[in-house]
Amino acid sequence: MAPLAELDRVSKRYEQKVAVHDLNLRIEAGTMFGLLGPNGAGKTSSIRMMVGITAPDSGTVSLFGRPFTRESLKRVGYLPEERGLYRKMKVMDQLLFMGQLHGLTTELAAKRSHAWCERLNILDAAQNKTEELSKGMQQKIQFIVALLHEPELIIMDEPFAGLDPVNATLLQDTLLDLKKTGRAIVFSTHRMDQAEKLCDEICLIHRGEAVLSGSMRAVKSRYERNRVIIDFEGDDKFLSHEAIAEYSEFPGHVEIRLKEHGDAQALLRGAQQQARIYRFELVEPSLEEIFIQTVGEKVDA
Amino acid sequence: MREALLIARREYVERIRSKAFRVSTLLIPIVFGLIFGIGAFSAKLTGGPKHLVLASNDPILAESVQAELLALRGEGSRREQASRLSVEVRAPVTGSELAALNAEVEGKRIDGYLWLDAKPGTTQPEATYTSSGSGDFFGKERIQYAIGHALVREELLKRGATSEGIAALLKDVDLKTLHLKNGEAVASDAGKSFWGAYVMTFMLYFAVVFYGVNVAHSVVSEKTSRVFEVLLASAKPESLMLGKLLGVGAVGLTQMGVWIVFILLLSASSLGMTLGPGGLAAYGVTPLQVIFFVLYFLLGFFFYSALSAGLGATVSQESEVQQFTMIIVLPQVIGLMLIVYILGNPGAWPVVLLSLFPPCTPIVMSLRMAAMSVPAWQLAVSLVLMVSSIYGMVWIASRIYRVGILMYGKRPTLPEMLRWLKYS
Repeated sequence: MAPLAELDRVSKRYEQKVAVHDLNLRIEAGTMFGLLGPNGAGKTSSIRMMVGITAPDSGTVSLFGRPFTRESLKRVGYLPEERGLYRKMKVMDQLLFMGQLHGLTTELAAKRSHAWCERLNILDAAQNKTEELSKGMQQKIQFIVALLHEPELIIMDEPFAGLDPVNATLLQDTLLDLKKTGRAIVFSTHRMDQAEKLCDEICLIHRGEAVLSGSMRAVKSRYERNRVIIDFEGDDKFLSHEAIAEYSEFPGHVEIRLKEHGDAQALLRGAQQQARIYRFELVEPSLEEIFIQTVGEKVDA
Repeated sequence: MREALLIARREYVERIRSKAFRVSTLLIPIVFGLIFGIGAFSAKLTGGPKHLVLASNDPILAESVQAELLALRGEGSRREQASRLSVEVRAPVTGSELAALNAEVEGKRIDGYLWLDAKPGTTQPEATYTSSGSGDFFGKERIQYAIGHALVREELLKRGATSEGIAALLKDVDLKTLHLKNGEAVASDAGKSFWGAYVMTFMLYFAVVFYGVNVAHSVVSEKTSRVFEVLLASAKPESLMLGKLLGVGAVGLTQMGVWIVFILLLSASSLGMTLGPGGLAAYGVTPLQVIFFVLYFLLGFFFYSALSAGLGATVSQESEVQQFTMIIVLPQVIGLMLIVYILGNPGAWPVVLLSLFPPCTPIVMSLRMAAMSVPAWQLAVSLVLMVSSIYGMVWIASRIYRVGILMYGKRPTLPEMLRWLKYS
């Protein structure tokens, strides 16, 4: 099956600045795709090309297996980084207008708006003017605007930025539910912990180029599990094991970094002989560490 | 098109519902009413009954001039004021008695006096007019005219002419002016030909200054509130601009419509009287002209609104919109400045070109239509040019609007804007 969205060697530059360079992305149905990278890496530029707000200088953007046309935007939900709502308009009127703009009939737009407001706990505010609402509430409305027409491809630029933890979780759960129904969700974030929790696939962008991409598993497996945490009682002579590069020891607890290709299993066997082991954990590197490591390498190179 | 209509409807409904719309619909006529009211009131204050003294050493001349002055009050534009004029003759009076008259003027007992000093042996008397204020209510020309007629009358009487004969002789000749229109001679009046152009200019100027700029404000506010990124992800920028133009434009037309209907209801009877039994036709206005007037007004309104949309797309702050009013109004002023030349040479090629140049078309074309029968192909070309230039403006505006997403703060330079047109 063709991916819902595909960027093929896409490049975009503004005046002197290269925003995106030779970027390849494939977003399949039923996946949560994270577009990661520091501020100014080119995430927003990539997303804007996906929804046709700007066109790439070279390369192609395909949606639903075909080169980009505005027609396909009917099946796309978009949440821009900078939220935009009509400030003077009533919330419900605003939702109806946006729904109709996405091709819904008035009745259908009204029905879905009502259901979404209920689901996101903002039904009470539906008759208020938008400017009277809190930022978090406005963000929920923006969120609904992107989803009213039940898009198959949901594209969100920093969807959780500026939300309190309760609302962030509410929206995260909503997105996970949508994923289960077969939608593809792309979102950008600079928060690695968020991406780690939610994403099936990621692409890490740095200075307009993809430095890492693939499934979360594959990305992580490319990086060695080279950190070991041991909780123990007894002799700590095992710390002189040949696999260990360095360690920091606390009472009954030690955090170890292994040498390259250091054998963790051999270390476990050695430790077992000398001490009583309560916990032995071979920790995989966090996305954050991977990111710093990768970008660091790039900078060095 | 569905998108454009949706956007137009949103703009229209939100604006019509707003308090600002209701307040301005009510308030602007009240303000205008007050201005006219004050004007009329002050005219009334100055236009009270006038008492004029005619002093002369020649009683016959004085009475004759009095008759002429009183005869004049029935005519001309100052009819209203003159009708309250009373002329008192004091004759014979000698030059030494003038001091008393001066005192009367000073004391506001009379509004002024005319001193006619007839010199024996000459036909021309020496005439001096003294009034209380520097503001002259009667007019030098009228006095000269009255004295001149009186002198001629006296002289003719002396030579034995009858008063009827003299009256017939001194009557103004009725001059008819005609011009050729569609091969037919029709009554024309240069003054009356102006009105269409003046009304067009005034209405267009008013509409553009008050409403055309609203389109720019609406575009800018969408940019500052960043709604446009959401909209662009669901609608074509051309539809957005077109919808905006139609929606905001319709609001202006609605408000003007409300006022026009209101004015017509208020003044239906007096307007009918002003226009006279022949109605508009008496002014040489044909139904075709009325149709084209409305057509050109609408096209002109939308042209300037589209221009303002384009200008609005280039700025990122509402306060910057004000600077554009000048640019928008300038082409209209050009049309107005050339009125005399255009009416005199409605078929000259520079005028034809100007009338086909979309920013000037509404005003120049309505002038030409009043002055001559404009060839059908020129009317057709002007309409095509206006419609396509409106579309072109919308297209350019939508390009700039779209690329404006990437812009913050600083105003783009012209070369930058041209590059933007190629983007996307």
